[in-house]
Amino acid sequence: MRVSGTQMSNQKDEAALIARIRAGDENAMAYVYDRYSGIVYAVALRVLGSTSSAEDVVQEVFLQLWRNPQAFDADRGKLAPWLAVIARNRSIDVLRKRPMEEDIDELPVSTGVNLEDEAAERMAIAKIRGVLAQLPQDQRRLLEMAFFEGMTHSEIAGKTGEPLGTVKTRIRSGLQALRKAFV
Amino acid sequence: MKDHAQYAESLALYAMDALDDHQVAAELRQHLASCNECRSELESLRGDMALLALSTAGPKPPQRSRERLMREVAAEPRHTHKVKTRFIMGRLQPRWLTLAPTVVAVLVLIASVALVRENLHLRTTRAALARELQIERQRAALAVEVMQMMHDPSLPRMTLVSTKTSPQPQVRTIYQPKRGHILLMANNLPQLPEDKVYELWLMPSSGGAPMPAGTFSPDQKGGAMMLHAMEDGGIEARAFAVTIEPRGGSRTPTMPIQFAPAG
Repeated sequence: MRVSGTQMSNQKDEAALIARIRAGDENAMAYVYDRYSGIVYAVALRVLGSTSSAEDVVQEVFLQLWRNPQAFDADRGKLAPWLAVIARNRSIDVLRKRPMEEDIDELPVSTGVNLEDEAAERMAIAKIRGVLAQLPQDQRRLLEMAFFEGMTHSEIAGKTGEPLGTVKTRIRSGLQALRKAFV
Repeated sequence: MKDHAQYAESLALYAMDALDDHQVAAELRQHLASCNECRSELESLRGDMALLALSTAGPKPPQRSRERLMREVAAEPRHTHKVKTRFIMGRLQPRWLTLAPTVVAVLVLIASVALVRENLHLRTTRAALARELQIERQRAALAVEVMQMMHDPSLPRMTLVSTKTSPQPQVRTIYQPKRGHILLMANNLPQLPEDKVYELWLMPSSGGAPMPAGTFSPDQKGGAMMLHAMEDGGIEARAFAVTIEPRGGSRTPTMPIQFAPAG
């Protein structure tokens, strides 16, 4: 039985949701999947460029949440950003052919973005894309190489011809520009 | 060691696992353990990463992905202990039975206290065992090094004898210049007053001042063994010498030299 949106609207508290998953509530797990699998799949697909590999990452991320829900600490962040970062890191592991770890590490994620419901999420995504579009193209490219392509600092410097220090500074300032939009 | 600002500069790359200098990454991890500001910034940088991830939103996973997950989830049920409420209707229970929950609670409390005490005892035992293990490991490492030094024919050996007439006291040294480790073995040493010790001195090949290389005292039979590590490796030794110094050692040798290289 799936949990309807109306039923779940009273259970937005993610801590309660995680508590239900801990207790073995498959409906709560299904709700989390329905709500956030799009985010996880999209980032995995962007990194890996393969639908089957992206589906494997989706499977891995949500199964780990099922097996180890206490890895998510509702007091230290929201579920959507946390899953997004986990999905990206898992995808980079696959890209680099690194073995996946058995457990999801403690990974506090702090952001001011509002993803309370799908309307807020759509607005946030439009805003993020707007900020990225305003970044100089070469700075955006540096962010993409580090974040979506899993390239290291030196690899990026080697590919772009930019000094190491410049790569480091521009990646950092690019991330900070995103953050400022949601302060 | 870098300062806080330099670590903060590298945090964005660290968050994205884009630091390919493992040394810097290891130092940064150490710094994070003690720096609240950097830990907080790392959490915010992960938040920024989440925003980047959200920029990809659009494609949805196929329905089969959901079915696959829920099959797996169903195949891994939780072992939860659900508390069921029971309502007993009808027959009244004997009065003594109403005390049963209280008695059970008291017994559980007593058992809990006993378990806590047992737990504390086990922790203490475990800590003691860990200390013993550490000491044994240090002893084993020392023994291995002694054996290696004794069996390495390439290491320079010197036998020091008394500068006085009696030839019986003997001090032998084996020196490993690369690591700066000196193994000293002595026998027939004259006993010293309580407030005195023997001190070994390394005479550098460069001609510099004698360098303190450890203090030692003879046992009842006049024997002594010491493994000393110089502060730095790579010092070439011209010779070694032994003097008598106040307990705790000296920074410069007190004449006369008691033992010097034979010949």
